Amino acid sequence: MTSPIISIENISKRFGGTRALHQVSFDVMPGEVHAICGENGAGKSTLMKILSGVITDYDGQLFIDGQPVEFRGTRDAESMGISIIHQELNLVEQLSISANIFLGREMRSGWIFRNDRDMHQAASELLRSLDCDIPTTRLAGSLRVGDQQLIEIAKALSIQSRIVVMDEPTSALTESEVERLYRVIAKLRSQGATILYISHKMDEVFDLSDRITVMRDGQFIETLATKETNPREITKLMVGRDIESLDLGPRPERGEKILEVRNLSLAWPGHARGYRLKDISLDLHRGEVLGIAGLMGAGRTELLECLFGASTIPPTGEILLDGDSIMPRHPSEAKRSGLALVTEDRKRLGIFSNMNVGRNLSICAMHEATIGPLLSYSKERTTGDETVEKLKIKTASLEAPIGSLSGGNQQKCIVGRWLLTNPKVLLLDDPTRGVDVGAKAELYRVIRGLCSEGLGVIVTSSELPELLTLSDRIMVLSEGRKTAEFAIADATQEKIMEAATGGWQPAHG
Amino acid sequence: MSNDSPTFIGRLLSSVELKLIFSWLLVVAVTMALDTNHTYWDSPGDSAEVVLRQTVLLGFFALGSAIIIISGGIDLSSGSVIAMSATVFGSLMIVLDPEGFRQGHVSSLAVILAIAGTLLVGAMIGTLHAWLITSVGLPPFVATLATLVGLRSFGRGLTPTLTGGKSQIDFPDAALRATLKDVTSISILFVLFALVLWILMSRTVTGRHLQAMGGNEQAAKLSGIRTDRMKWLAYVIGAVSASIVGIIMFADSGSAKPDAMARGYELNAIAASVIGGCSLQGGVGTIPGTILGCLFLRTIIDAVQKIVGAGSDVFEGMIVGIVVVVAVTFSQRGGGKLSDKRFFSNEIGWTVIPALGLLSGLSYLLFFGNGNREWYAPYQAVVVCVVVIACLIGRAVMETFTKSSDAS
Repeated sequence: MTSPIISIENISKRFGGTRALHQVSFDVMPGEVHAICGENGAGKSTLMKILSGVITDYDGQLFIDGQPVEFRGTRDAESMGISIIHQELNLVEQLSISANIFLGREMRSGWIFRNDRDMHQAASELLRSLDCDIPTTRLAGSLRVGDQQLIEIAKALSIQSRIVVMDEPTSALTESEVERLYRVIAKLRSQGATILYISHKMDEVFDLSDRITVMRDGQFIETLATKETNPREITKLMVGRDIESLDLGPRPERGEKILEVRNLSLAWPGHARGYRLKDISLDLHRGEVLGIAGLMGAGRTELLECLFGASTIPPTGEILLDGDSIMPRHPSEAKRSGLALVTEDRKRLGIFSNMNVGRNLSICAMHEATIGPLLSYSKERTTGDETVEKLKIKTASLEAPIGSLSGGNQQKCIVGRWLLTNPKVLLLDDPTRGVDVGAKAELYRVIRGLCSEGLGVIVTSSELPELLTLSDRIMVLSEGRKTAEFAIADATQEKIMEAATGGWQPAHG
Repeated sequence: MSNDSPTFIGRLLSSVELKLIFSWLLVVAVTMALDTNHTYWDSPGDSAEVVLRQTVLLGFFALGSAIIIISGGIDLSSGSVIAMSATVFGSLMIVLDPEGFRQGHVSSLAVILAIAGTLLVGAMIGTLHAWLITSVGLPPFVATLATLVGLRSFGRGLTPTLTGGKSQIDFPDAALRATLKDVTSISILFVLFALVLWILMSRTVTGRHLQAMGGNEQAAKLSGIRTDRMKWLAYVIGAVSASIVGIIMFADSGSAKPDAMARGYELNAIAASVIGGCSLQGGVGTIPGTILGCLFLRTIIDAVQKIVGAGSDVFEGMIVGIVVVVAVTFSQRGGGKLSDKRFFSNEIGWTVIPALGLLSGLSYLLFFGNGNREWYAPYQAVVVCVVVIACLIGRAVMETFTKSSDAS
């Protein structure tokens, strides 16, 4: 048997208080397509960042071709023939395709001048070999996501990579683009490249891979030959325990109607479709969780932003809260009328990394912590301690920096911040993104607990099992329109996916 | 994160404020030792007055600048706002009491109205900044760059129109001038001003909202904070504080020269804030820290003047530059230990060594070559240059051969 091209031995990595990787060890053989599966937060991306030199401080040892290596940056990894195609693409949008492909390794004529002509020519050849005939003088920013990804692949080819890492490459692709990607992978493989393919989509993994490594909670679980296993086994290994059977206790009684939305539309100027949301109607009762399903770009986040007065242009339609017509123009108005939004992108839109846990908790309800015109630190501390206790937030103290908490506990802080405003309706936009499995279950319990206190909750998620666990009803969005609504008893993953991908059929009533 | 000490004492000891107090004491001690005229020993009162006056004059608008920086913006216009405000103050006195202005005794009512009017103009400038930033959508750098250039020009245009062709307004009233420049009263005024801002920033909802906005503006907006109103407040405080300085400086210097007055002062204010612990990324910084930053900066400038001798306001800019670099290097957040850092081990590091050596040698020449010092000889500058280069090469070699300890 040949010796492994990559050996990972006992690699561990922590981010602040979160354990991203713990004692991970496995081998990758030359020339194979090796899939790495795991839920969000399983540590797949972190491991790949170590492999490609993005993360340089970690414990453990990495071997390439049997030799121990210690990358000091992506350049080192590239020189060993490793390139990574990140989930978030790394193109300079203002530069042309060929400039992006040769960025940092530009061809020259003589010592001084850049040789654009040769670069365009070489780039065109690369693209042609990938069944793509876009002129290489076009700006990267003007391309569709699928084509941008192809540029990244071309970049990887141009440095003669022996090892190509693809981090969830299909998450933003159309079906025909996925097919093209399959062809590209087949071609790379025929040229002898080793491919690490990260995904949690079972069909892709089983179509493409020779072997599958499963990770969970930052740990290595198992490596299996693809021929000798099946999607069900892999899924079970990924989840570890059956998350659907998670017992959250009885569903609370459904109360009176609290929120009603009629024909909400949001325009999208300058786009062919013309709208981000079209004629969305929904209602929400006290003690109820309404799940919103939909693919990327279906309008889940936009819908919550409209309800919260955070959309860049005002929506049209009608929003009734407790029977009163509201149309918030600013989040502060939404907050005053009793709405709360926990945003999707925690780091960018949620936490204040310059402030400690206590201040992150109190920020939405500062006026509760005052005596006259002045802040009362002791009042702030009391409510902070109460929230920490109620939501079981794991933190050293209220003075600890927010960045020292794990993703799940940061998310609890943000939920807690909004609970202090005594909301009637809680909007949760993909609340468990980047949260590890244990913390997810705790967040579910928190959400269920809030419902039994009489809150109405709207939750979006990119993970269907999560919606099926949490929701009482599930509404499906597709390209800005509501395509279906299911009571939880009728909802299945298949039905939801059908409604989410099937385009729009006029929903009656 | 490991150097974030959880205990109160630990936080106190690692605070920028305490470091600044120690550094300040060190500067004073060094000056006492090195100053051949023994100014700090012989006339501590006079020295204190000079430093205090300068600190207070810088402090007013540095605090305004700090609030803008903490809330996530930047104000480049304060120097021009100072010059413009001095001009407006003078102009208003001319307009309100032309007779008194000519005779050197402006009526109290006119003075009060002129001060109120000048502060109002400051508030208007702040409002203009806030509008340009929030509604027009300009970056703060661009918006305040426009007023930095524009307001000074405006002041220059205004002056000859009101003075009948002169390019400056002379302070009319000797008694009033003495009152306005009196170091005790401006110090008391400054203490009150600083106290109000300190309470605002540390003890009110508004202050917390400003800090939150500086840390993460999007998150602040989505937390229901009216970020546009917060920005308005920050920029109005910034411009009004510069207007106050304009009024005092008019009295202090005896004339308002809109072309030259307070030129480049905005950068001193930003420097003082940064030395005092404000982060230009926003969200971090305190009022006491900024005051100490001003005090430290003005003291070290004064100290160099004392040690080097006359004509040394030439070096003011150089000192500010050096202090900013050193202070920020030492207080960088999350920077780890200084001995672990790699300053000189890459190509740029090696290349900068001769430049730093030359800079040290030349500074030695400039600082000590002008006076009559018996121990001084020009060859010493060469020695300084060589020694500095040798030390830096030593450090570079050490950095290159010690393995980085980040694997632990």
